[in-house]
Order: sequence, then C-alpha cells, then structure tokens
Amino acid sequence: MLALQLLATGLVTGCALGVVAISFSLVYATTKIFHVAHAGIYTLGGYLAWSLVLYGAPLLIAVLISVAACAALGALIQSQLYARLERRRATHLVVLIASLGALAVMQNIIAAVYTPDILQFPIEWSSRMVSVGAIRLDYTQLLTILVSLAAYAGTMLFAHGTILGKRIRAVASNPMLADITRLQPQTVYVYVIAIASALVCLPGILVPLDLGLQPYNGVTPLLTATIAMIAGGVGSITGAFVLSVAIAVVQNLSLLVIPGEWSIGVTFFIFVIFMLFRPTGLFTAR
Amino acid sequence: MDFLYSYIVLAEIYVLLGLSTNLLVGIAGIFSVSQAAVFGVGAYIVAHFMMAPDPLSFIPSLAIAAVGCVALNILVTLPALRVSGDYFVVTSFGIQLLATAVFTNWTAGTGGANGLPGIPPPDLLGLPIETTAQYAWLCTGAVVLGCLGFFLIMRAPFGRLLRAIREDETAVAAAGKNVLRAKVSAAALAGAFAGTAGGLYATFLSFIDPSSFDLDASILLLTMVVVGGARTLAGSIIGPFLLLALPQLLTLVEIPTTIAAAARQLIYGLLLIMFMLFRPQGLAGERL
Repeated sequence: MLALQLLATGLVTGCALGVVAISFSLVYATTKIFHVAHAGIYTLGGYLAWSLVLYGAPLLIAVLISVAACAALGALIQSQLYARLERRRATHLVVLIASLGALAVMQNIIAAVYTPDILQFPIEWSSRMVSVGAIRLDYTQLLTILVSLAAYAGTMLFAHGTILGKRIRAVASNPMLADITRLQPQTVYVYVIAIASALVCLPGILVPLDLGLQPYNGVTPLLTATIAMIAGGVGSITGAFVLSVAIAVVQNLSLLVIPGEWSIGVTFFIFVIFMLFRPTGLFTAR
Repeated sequence: MDFLYSYIVLAEIYVLLGLSTNLLVGIAGIFSVSQAAVFGVGAYIVAHFMMAPDPLSFIPSLAIAAVGCVALNILVTLPALRVSGDYFVVTSFGIQLLATAVFTNWTAGTGGANGLPGIPPPDLLGLPIETTAQYAWLCTGAVVLGCLGFFLIMRAPFGRLLRAIREDETAVAAAGKNVLRAKVSAAALAGAFAGTAGGLYATFLSFIDPSSFDLDASILLLTMVVVGGARTLAGSIIGPFLLLALPQLLTLVEIPTTIAAAARQLIYGLLLIMFMLFRPQGLAGERL
C-alpha cells in the first residue's frame, strides 16, 4: 500500500524533475555551458507567480507572466553574461564561475526580498485530495503530471517539427558548421536559453504549489536533473525525461528503507554507479 | 586587540583554504564547490578525536584530519575526473549537499544542526595555546608552512605539469604524462590544506555547526580566490583578508540583521560575475 503511494508520488516528482532535466539538457547540449544559474531561474519563477497570486491575479495569468519573465531573464543572462564571456574567449571554468555568481545573486535577492522562510501559495484548491484506488494525490500533483507530460511532448514536437527546433539541433551537433552556414549560433543560444528558462518556470511553480517556496531550494532539483540528464545520455530529451522519472521513483521507494533526509545520498549513489559503469548514459542518441 | 587577533586568525585559516581552492581551481583548473565540505570534514574529525573519551592531543588529531581529507578527495575526484570535467561539477555539488546532509542529520557524530560545542583548545607539544594572541602565532606558523609548501610545489616539476594540464590537457597526455594522476594528486593536496584549516578552525572557535561548511561557504572560498587572484600565492593571501573584512564593513551600513546574510552572499555573487567579466585574473593573479 505504502509502496504504491510512494510510487505515485515518485511519478509526480519525476515528471516535474523531468521538465527541469529537459530544459537543462537543451541548454547544455546546445551551448555546452554548465548553466548552474538555471536553478535560480527555477526558484525565481515560483516566487514571481506567488507574488502575482498574492496580488489577486488568477493562477493561469500568474503562470503566463512568470514564464515570460523567466524567458526574458534567461535571454538576458545569455546575451549580457555568457555572450560577453564568449567574445573574450573565456575558458569553460570562467563561464562556470560566472554562472555560479549569477545563481548566488538570484537566490540572495530572493532571500533578501522574501525572507528565507518557507512560503505557501494562498490557493485553497491546491491541496484538495483525489483518491484513485488506494492512491491519494492532490490537485496540484495531478496538474503537475499533466503539465509536465505536455511540456515534454511540446519540446519533442518543437525540436523535431519546427524550423527553429531543427536549427537548434544543427547548432548543437556542430556549432562551427552552423556558423559557416549562417545559422548564427549566438542568436540560437539566446533562443535556447529563453525557451529553457520558460520551460523550467513550470516545475518552478508547480512543485512549490504543493510543497512551498524557499529561496535555496533550486540547487537540489537542478543537481538531480543534471544527474538524470547524464544518466539518460546528454542530448537526448527522452533520456533525460525518462531517467528523471526513474530516479525520482527509486528515491521515493527508497524511503521505505532509508529516512528522507538521506535522499540526496541515494541520488548521488545512482550517479556514481552511472559514472563507473555507463558514463555515456542509457539513451545515447543524437 | 583581541578583536584584531581573531580577525587575523580567521583570515589566516581562510588563507589555508584559499591555497587549497587555488590549487584545485586556479592551478589545476578543476571547478569545485565542495571545498567547504572538505573543510568541514577536517573540523569534525579534529573535534571528534580531541573530545573522545581518551582524547588525542592536537597535532595527531590534525594529522588524522589531513589524511582523512586527502583520502576523501581522492575517493571523490577519481571516478569523476576519469570521465570528464563536467562530471566533476556534478560530483562537487553532490558532495557539498551530501556533506551538509551528514553534518545536519548525523546527530550522534556531529551534534546535528545544533552543532558541536566545547572543543578543547589546542596544545603544541604539551604547550597549551589559550589566548587569541598565542593562537594568532600558531596560525601564522601554519600559514607560513602552507605558503612555503605552495611556493615549492609551484616551482617543482609537478607544479609545471599542473599548469600545463590547465593550458592543454591533450598536449600533456600526448607528451606521455599521466593527466589523471596529476589531477587527483592536486585534489589530494588540496584536501590536506583544507583538512588542516578545518582543524584550526574547530579548535579556535571551540564550536562548529553545519552552517560554516555549506554551499554558501564554498561560494565564499571561490570568491576569495577569484577576487585575490587565481594561481598566485599573493592572490590566495589578499582574497581572504579582503573578504573577511567585508562583513565588518557591512555592519557600518544600516542593514536589518534578517537580511544581512543574504546581502553578504549577494555581494559575493556580484563579485564573482564582475571579476569574471572585467578582471578574470583577480587583483593579483594570472589569467584564469
């Protein structure tokens, strides 16, 4: 019984995590930047939506505005920070440190404005329960599954069916050639980070809707998502999503034997296993 | 006067940590945000052995902490560095979060979130060190030894090998050098510095808790090296002394205490971005 419930909550967490993973994977596979600041955008999205809801905006409007704001912020980080560093031929290490700096700035602006205490969304339906057989989920969790699957399907359609999606994949697979054929990698990078930031805003709102907001809560999901991305195979959207669900399910089921405060250890253990035995990941597609 | 001494002691402990971070990030070019975790492990090991039912004295405890941190760093870096650089980024974030979880939740060993009070003051071969002034001398000695070690390593063939790896890993491998072994050795050395610093920190404050060894602390260490300047001895010394004076300056500005910590971290983040954009070599460093 308990195992079944844990499996269900694992699926919910995994779906939300999956969106974080595919958005990070988009950025990482295309720009090759280890975009740590993504965790900051994830957190910021939730706080923006919270403020809008607090001032009386309907949730849908709040989500749309937050998604747009996150996309704009992502584009800003790429065009004002990463692109500048790229022009100066900065090393990978320098970009990484700058990204970490951007993360620290975002998290601490949030902490200074909203205090580091946990905040709950003032929405009463979010915790109303639905029972399916022996499993009990709340409205937010059902919404999370639906939105995440839609985001995954949307990303797949976008990447394979649209001109911009194809252009992004072209730049990801060979930036040099893309540059020669006037696909303008630098412009594509701005689009990619904007799209990824818009995507990551969705779990950034949905997860706190259930569990509440805290300014430093973005790092652990991002870490788990990057592990899922690596385990799934860098560049594979499906791999990142599937492995996120798998890791979250394993993590939730491990609660049967290991107390919850050690779940980061379980995640990390999975990562070490992959690193030792299959560092290229399971889905090594292009 | 005591206030000045304790500032010097803390700054000198952070100089040791700066040397450690500089070895790893500046010289070997390995990005790491788990330096504070290693620092913490060193602190907890020293505290554990000095507070055991039949306590060890300071120097043996410090030696055990240093060896423990070397072992930890080897264990952590070996699988990740074998694969590629970005895997180590994930590893170091993971280790930092895992260490914070252990420090906070393993109540029997670390006192949990309440911390570990009552760590006895150190002694040097039977000579007790109790006043802050004596402590400043002890730390100065440790820092001089650390700097000497850093200077000698930089001049030795091993130092040149590390710098060559940072410039072009493939070329070094093609020249028949073992890149992985050099990188892991650098990490091991960094572990020894961080572990020693942890021991000094624990005995100086006589109280440790997880908040001194979290991700924010790792970011502070990185900021110190970035501001001071990567890859040079001077940079590792300037950075800690400057950045530890910053909280004192902030107390002069009227900031509510509730957001003081966030404001401090915000400044570190801004410093990281600004230095990377406009002066990646820091105040007294070489190109990062």
